[in-house]
Order: sequence, then C-alpha cells, then structure tokens
Amino acid sequence: MNTTRIYAIVLKFWFDTKRDMFRLFDVFWWPAFDLFVWGLLSTYLNKATSGSINFVLLFLAGMIFWSFFDRASRDISRSMMEELWNRNLPNIFSTPLRLTEYVIGVLIIAAIKLIVGGIFLLVLSTLFYGFRVSSMGWFFLPAMAGLMLFGWSVSFVVQSLVLRFGHTIEVFIWAVAIFLQPFSCVFYPMTTLPVWAQYVARLLPTMYLFEAMRAILAGIPVRPWDISLSFILNAIYLIASVSFFYRTFRHAKINGLLTKPF
Amino acid sequence: MENVVLSAWGLTKTFGGFTAVDHISFDVKEGECLGILGPNGAGKTTTIFMLLDLIIPTSGDLTIFGMQYRGDREQILQRMNFASAYMDMMPRMTVYENLLIMATLYQVQNAGEVITHYAKMLEIEELLSSQHKNLSAGQKTRVQLCKAFLNDPKLLLLDEPTASLDPDISASVRRDILEAQKRGMTVVITSHNMAEVEEICDRVLFMSHGKIVSEDTPEGLARAVRKVRVQLMIKDGQKRTVAFAQKAGFAVVASDRFVTIDVDEDDIAYLLSGLAEKHVEYRQIAIDKPTLEDYFIAMSRKNI
Repeated sequence: MNTTRIYAIVLKFWFDTKRDMFRLFDVFWWPAFDLFVWGLLSTYLNKATSGSINFVLLFLAGMIFWSFFDRASRDISRSMMEELWNRNLPNIFSTPLRLTEYVIGVLIIAAIKLIVGGIFLLVLSTLFYGFRVSSMGWFFLPAMAGLMLFGWSVSFVVQSLVLRFGHTIEVFIWAVAIFLQPFSCVFYPMTTLPVWAQYVARLLPTMYLFEAMRAILAGIPVRPWDISLSFILNAIYLIASVSFFYRTFRHAKINGLLTKPF
Repeated sequence: MENVVLSAWGLTKTFGGFTAVDHISFDVKEGECLGILGPNGAGKTTTIFMLLDLIIPTSGDLTIFGMQYRGDREQILQRMNFASAYMDMMPRMTVYENLLIMATLYQVQNAGEVITHYAKMLEIEELLSSQHKNLSAGQKTRVQLCKAFLNDPKLLLLDEPTASLDPDISASVRRDILEAQKRGMTVVITSHNMAEVEEICDRVLFMSHGKIVSEDTPEGLARAVRKVRVQLMIKDGQKRTVAFAQKAGFAVVASDRFVTIDVDEDDIAYLLSGLAEKHVEYRQIAIDKPTLEDYFIAMSRKNI
C-alpha cells in the first residue's frame, strides 16, 4: 500500500470537485433543498396535529440520516463512471496504482464529502428548525457509520455493474437509493409495510437503524441486538460487494472493458 | 550482449470467439525502437494494452525487465509509461493538475519542475493553466506525450503518438522520441505514419489478423516489395516505349510526355537496354525505390 498514490487519487477528486459547481450542489444544495421541503412539511404537520407527534424531529432526523445513505450510495460509483466517461482509466491504471489504493482514495474523499455535507445539514436544521443532534445521544455516530457503510456496499455493486454492462446501467446510480427507501422505513415503522415487504426490510441494515432512531426520539430504549444485527448485515454486504467489485474489475481487464470507449 | 527489456512468448488474446492477438512472440532489446504496424484490427492496440496490464492475455508469457505482472506489477509499471492519441484526461482539470496527478502516481520527485521541463520541451508550457477540455486534438496528444515522459521511463509505449498532429509538431515529436531513445529509453510504437516508422524505428513487426506476418528493419521490409516505379520524360519514341513495356508485361501509364512503368527491381536493366535498342530518347529518368508504405499497402492488399 502506497500512501503517495492514495494521496494522488484524493488530490484528483479535490481538483475535479473544486472545478465543478454541480458537485458542490450535490454536497450542499440538494440536501439543503430536501431539508427545507421536509422542514416546512413537518412544521405544517406539527401545527395541524397540535404537536401530539413531533414531526419536525422525526422527519428531519429521517431525512438527514437518509441523505447520508443516499449520497454514500452514489459517490463511489459516480467517481468511476466519470473515469470511464473521460477515458481516463487506462491512464491511471497503467501507472503502478493498485485497485485497493484507488478504492481507498475514493473512500477518503467520499467520507470527507459526507462529513462536510452532514455538518452543513445539521447546522441548517438547528438554525431553521431547532433540531438538536444531541437529542439522539450516542446513537448518532454508529447510525451515520452504518448508513455510510451500506451506501458504500450499494455503490460497489452499482459500480461493478457499470464496469460490466456500461452506461445502460447508469440509471442505477441514482435509482438504487429510491428503490431501497420504502423498505428502509425512513419515515414510518416497519409494521406499516405489507408482510412480504417486511421480509425484504429485515434484510436491510438501514431498517434497523431507522427503527432505532424513532425509538430514541420517542424515549424508548433501543435493543442492542438490532444495532448489532444492522452491523452484522453491513459487514456481510460490504465484504460481498467489495469481493464482487474486485472480481468484476478483473473480468473487465480480461474482456478489455477498461480500454473501450464508454 | 544487449539486454532484453521485453519478451513476449505465445501471447494470445481472444474475446469470445474472436482472436484479436494470435500467438505472437517477440523481444525488445534495451535502447531499441520497435514499430508495430498493420491495418486496422490487426491487434496492435490490444498488444500494447496487454503490455501495460490493462488487458489480461488469454495465454502466453510476458516478461518485462525480467519480471512478470503476476508478482511485480508495481515495479514494472513504475519504469514504464505510455501515450495514446485516443486516450483522454479529466476534462475540467487543468493540464497542470492532470499532469501533477500522474506525476504523483509515479512518485516523481520535484513534480512541478519535471512537468515544466517536459512542457517546455513539447511546447505546451502555455497550456498548463488551460482546462483539458479546451485543448485541440493535437494539443491533447502533446499533453499525453508529456505525461508519458514524466517518470523518465525505461520503456515507453506509444500508440499512434502523432495522430492528429500538424506536420511540424509531428516532426518535433519524432525528434523528442529519438532524443529519448538516445538517452537509453526503449520504445515500442504503433503508427499509421510510415515515414515516421522509417525514421525512428530500428525494427518493425507487421501484424495482420492478430499474427506477426513479418519482422525486419524498415528498409528490409520495404525491399520485400520488389516493384520499382520508373518514370521517364520522353523526348522521342513514346509509342515505342509503351509498346515495348506492354510486350514485356510491365504495368505502364502514359500521359503527355511522361511514361510511368512498374517493374521488378531486377528488370530495370532489361527495360533500359530494351528502350535503347528501340532508339527511345528521354530527357529525364526517375526511379522510385519501394518504401515501407508500399510494403504496408502490398501486405494490406494481400489480406493475409
């Protein structure tokens, strides 16, 4: 493992990000836009229901948590997609750079973007809606970590599909999070889902985290097993998705996909 | 004895049922410039990509600097580089930023100075602050070449390095490649520019349908085309010249006072003595020797 080469990948994404306003939109604008829409809706619901349920807390916490997963699920796959679009992969992989170093570089920049974007959202939600992250206590950090890890697992799978099938799969980069959202129970308890969908939800680490989030906000103790199960599932998915990605990368080298026009 | 830098043995690449490269074997010696020629689809670029570990061969052995990719990928690629007219870089980043990243990936010391040095050499210094997407095709090619020199590679792979360059810049690039070779760099180059290959290559492999069909010096390959073009400016006896050439079975074209005859090299003396016997008088004679381009065309027409 060579830290200079990892630094080169981080530097590359920094150069590219600072020159692209739309990437900054991704970190700041869209999450802020979502925050205001959900903030206004939950403020209205709070008034309409005379405050019997704190919708602001429930919806904003759900939205902030979900935005972590949503962006994590896109960041890595978008990075490689852009390398393919720009036919830059042969340049960087004809250097001594190892795939692991590339992945670590991408993960570092993705984590930095998530942290910066997350802090920005928390500051906005505190300023405009009085949302306090301290209301979730210790749970906040493992929840964010769990959502980020599952987002990365999804991203590795999508990235592998992009490498294998090309731009026809591109739509998955944006669609996967939308597809998983209903089963993740971001804004409602799992019992709201039809029975068959509950089986699907139980396979998602995100569902356990959102259930725990609601329990904490309602002052109900969190079952440690649920958090543990979430992390066990996360570990399984991450190992499987990274293995799948490495296998697909090798498949791409065997089939000459790295060097073909995208 | 000269050191072998690169040795390929039985290198084969198949994609499904299609064989792109078919059991090719060759060596490249230290300091040598090897040209890989062939028509489109001959397997040249696939070969270059296999040499760079961007495509994994289906079978065969590849040894570079005495090492193999399976155990020594980083050590091999640290001492190599490549440029292709058909590869791009990150479009929004400036040329300098793109080159800095590549230099960092190769762990080049004093990267800024090295980039400036090669940018000056390739006359792209004024482009360093431009975004890559704003460059012309020729400028992008020169940036690729600059990238290829950054780590002062011992083995340089070039895929059509002067495609889309103006003739003067192409000549300058060829000079740069020759200079690099003088410094001890080993070069493997694919090109469609036959004059370029004749100028800079010590040896040429001619590929067709994934196979190496011939291997020689550029002059040696050109000599394999035995047809010589004799052009005469006739003073007296044009009809007699055409009649004699046709009777002898030579391809002949007449226009105005000029007659052009394609003959085998060995038949030049027979042609000229025959014309003398027919009392043909000519003011000028030009004999064009076959070039590598003639060989390329002849081989491509054969469709081996």
